[in-house]
Amino acid sequence: MLRILLLLPLASALLLAVLPTGSVRALRAVAGIAASATLGYAIWLLSGFEIGDPNIQFPETHAWNPRLGSAFTLGVDGFSMPMVLLAALLTVVAILASGNIRKRARGYYVLLLLLETAILGVFTARDWSLFYVFWELTLIPLFFLIDRYGGANRSKAALNFVLYTMGGSVFMLVALLMLYDAAPGHSFAMADLAAGAVRLPEETQIWLFLGLLIGFGVKMPIFPLHGWLPLAHVEAPSPVSILLSGILLKMGSYGLIRAAETLPAAVLALQGWLAVIALFSLIYGGLLAWKQRDLKAMVAYSSVSHMGVVLLGIAALNTAGLTGAVMQMVAHGLVAGALFLLIGLLYERTHTRDIADYSSLVRVMPRFAFFTVLAFIAAVGLPGTAGFVAELHALIGGFARWGGWVVVLSLGVLVSAAYAVRTVGRLFTGPVRAGMHDIPDLSRTEFAAAAVLSAGIVVLGIFPAPALALISASVGQLARVFGA
Amino acid sequence: MNWLLALVPLLPLLAAAAIAVHILSGRAQGDDAEPVTARLATGATGLSVLLLLIADGLALATGTPGHLHLADWFASGSLRIPISFSADALALSLASLACLLLFLTQRFAVNYLHREAGFHRFFLGLSLFASGMLLILLAGNAALAFVGWELAGLSSWMLIGYAQDRPVATGNALRAFVINRIGDAGFILGIGLAWIWLGSMEWPAVGEAGRLDTLNAALLALGFVLAALAKSAQVPFAPWIARALEGPTPSSAIFYGAVMVHAGVYLLLRLEPLLLQSPAVLVLIALLGGLTAVYGWLAGYAQTDVKSGLMFATTTQVGLMFLWIGLGLFPLAAWHLALHAMFRAWQFLASPSYMHMVRNAAPPPPAWLGRCPGLYRAALQRFWLEPLADWLLLRPTRSLARDVRDLDDRVLSRLVGLPDQVKVAAFSERRETEADVIRGHGLAGGAMAWLAGHLHRFEERLVLQPGGGVFTVFLKRLGELLRGVEGLLERPRYLLLLIMATLVVIL
Repeated sequence: MLRILLLLPLASALLLAVLPTGSVRALRAVAGIAASATLGYAIWLLSGFEIGDPNIQFPETHAWNPRLGSAFTLGVDGFSMPMVLLAALLTVVAILASGNIRKRARGYYVLLLLLETAILGVFTARDWSLFYVFWELTLIPLFFLIDRYGGANRSKAALNFVLYTMGGSVFMLVALLMLYDAAPGHSFAMADLAAGAVRLPEETQIWLFLGLLIGFGVKMPIFPLHGWLPLAHVEAPSPVSILLSGILLKMGSYGLIRAAETLPAAVLALQGWLAVIALFSLIYGGLLAWKQRDLKAMVAYSSVSHMGVVLLGIAALNTAGLTGAVMQMVAHGLVAGALFLLIGLLYERTHTRDIADYSSLVRVMPRFAFFTVLAFIAAVGLPGTAGFVAELHALIGGFARWGGWVVVLSLGVLVSAAYAVRTVGRLFTGPVRAGMHDIPDLSRTEFAAAAVLSAGIVVLGIFPAPALALISASVGQLARVFGA
Repeated sequence: MNWLLALVPLLPLLAAAAIAVHILSGRAQGDDAEPVTARLATGATGLSVLLLLIADGLALATGTPGHLHLADWFASGSLRIPISFSADALALSLASLACLLLFLTQRFAVNYLHREAGFHRFFLGLSLFASGMLLILLAGNAALAFVGWELAGLSSWMLIGYAQDRPVATGNALRAFVINRIGDAGFILGIGLAWIWLGSMEWPAVGEAGRLDTLNAALLALGFVLAALAKSAQVPFAPWIARALEGPTPSSAIFYGAVMVHAGVYLLLRLEPLLLQSPAVLVLIALLGGLTAVYGWLAGYAQTDVKSGLMFATTTQVGLMFLWIGLGLFPLAAWHLALHAMFRAWQFLASPSYMHMVRNAAPPPPAWLGRCPGLYRAALQRFWLEPLADWLLLRPTRSLARDVRDLDDRVLSRLVGLPDQVKVAAFSERRETEADVIRGHGLAGGAMAWLAGHLHRFEERLVLQPGGGVFTVFLKRLGELLRGVEGLLERPRYLLLLIMATLVVIL
């Protein structure tokens, strides 16, 4: 069943590649239908998902390379199901937002759908070798998407991005191979590797976990490994920025949760350090976001800050913390997606991203203003938005572990309020400027894309219970491993 | 019977809501709109009177049901606030009387306020008051009674400030409201203490405070007594009620002549068992009641207008009721209350036509008062109670507020980086410089900007620097070094040397 989820965008990409038409509209329509079908299929999968069952669901295995012990094993649980939905949703939004890609549109949409395949593969793989293959597979479409469709500095950004991620992946690969060496079943299956890891001495486990942490930390990103992020986010075309920060970053934190499942003793030993990194990333990202004048760079750095909350939640290793981490992954996916979408649309209209250039947009584009204010409010994590639920859980989880130290998290929220409020003020208040008074408001498709994301943010903020129920079984199972 | 009783305060409230909708819909204008409002208000109160009369009849036939528990209003943890009503002889009889007076006054006001600008507003306030007052009288617990207490206070404020365009009226309304809030604080204290010590705020439970020692019982009683003193305008809160006469005559009649002024007496009557356990409080009540009676009697002599004269007469009578309660004569106080309410309502409603009714000029103050000019002056100045309160409470509060505002303006605002008022005005005029976009204000903002600046520099230098961060430079150097080594290795003689060295090692 999950196979079809992967095959749908892949087959559509192939179809797009050979489609005998040059019309951009037709290509876009086909890509949109394919992405919507994938989203619909993911939602259909959700309806069959047993809530409350912590086991892997929809499992399927195909032999791949029996001599090496790798297999094509797929399956989802409470951690991956929300991510699959988020990935499918954000791809649809990205295609809706791709209205101004007119040159080389065929290649663009093919790459976008390939990227979706790879991302869904990462989230559904139940075999570390398959996971690694999909992990690396995301790089190829992304490299071309940034390098061929990006902004002025795109080549450097693309290269930087790929090199950083590959550099991290090397450590991850080494760690995985060493784990494979110790696995009793001589396979790459996640459960098997976890069974083997238990028997390793704790010091080895810590080294292995550090290797995985570097690999996933680059993607997430956490503090010293985030160098690729501002460049890539700024230079990528906006729809790709939506995917980059909305779902690609979540691959890192998702991988980290899987690593915590595999090497629990190591995570427990490094728990304090993870929290320190998380809190530092949180403040560091927030302050740098405040320092930016480029809107896209600002949102990019705010992603560093928000992913710090995810890491903090994971490091808490209790039910509340892990719930907060997964909720923040979803919330940030929606919020960052919405922000990049809106800023991208604004850039298309004004060709500037410097906040000092904007003024009094609320009169000119009220719909845009509404959605942007909502997205920034959600970025701060005000009650009633998804971010609040996430931050509250992370705060509770962190408090249970470290007591008063999590006040840093609140400080981070304060900093995020500083840049969000400043940006809203800059964008929408002040005198009307000459160049800013005949900008068209959101079109119907753009409105739909923004509305879908905003609805998700608000619905998750007001009725978080279904989402919490979806993840609770898996979170509970993982938290039990750590005795909380 | 139970739900019948619940409808009694609910009907005027619904009428008030309907009138509010009527006003908000913008249709409450002109002569045609007046009967709608009037019918809503009088209809609801009239129905309440009927319901109460039915309840009275049932009670006469089958005996009073006493305390009625209907449902829980809300429950949170161990805190439970029920919706309960007292339907004993005291509550039923006084509620019937008050409701009848309310109905008659409303009927009177329909003609009296014809073509007044605030006609609808007046009936909104009066309906709210009816609801609040009936709730006070019928409530079975302190919390519910407090809701009525507040509704009555709010509607009183609305109607004293009826003439919204007269600064004196609005000022007086505010003053009356604030003084009533002091009493409310006492009420809340009473509710809280009852909850903590007795675990319930039902009137019967509050009455059975036998478990408490005398001091605690006195403290509990004092809270409610404070509320009663403020509401019934006893010394030292007495002066607010004379200011409250700014409202239209029918509202003065019902609030300060007949009904609301007695709410405090009723509260004390309800707390009879509790008061009997704390004799010291009874002495205090008697003392203050007696003082008020003397105050009202003397100050009444010095008044020159009908309404003020009536008001001070009321104060005297209510003071006497407090005195009866203080002396333990609860039934006497109840009878006094009922008779006084009826008589005073008629007097107040008739006050606008006194000029026609009274043939002779009003008698001058008695001669003995004239012989003591000091006493006369004191009576004229209402014993300086208001200036005293201002001097004791208002002035210190004001100067404290000024100091706090100075602290806010001069220290905290600057620390936090809030712009002060002058700068805000100048802000839009000024063309902003580049650096203004990212700038911290105040101490916290400055610290943030400083930290962000350093981190930014770090980020630029080490992580992002175009063409060569430290890491890239290091890699480049390493590459050059390796290329040099490679170059050396490519020369034959070094290659031979390397091979020979290898052979030597192997051998």
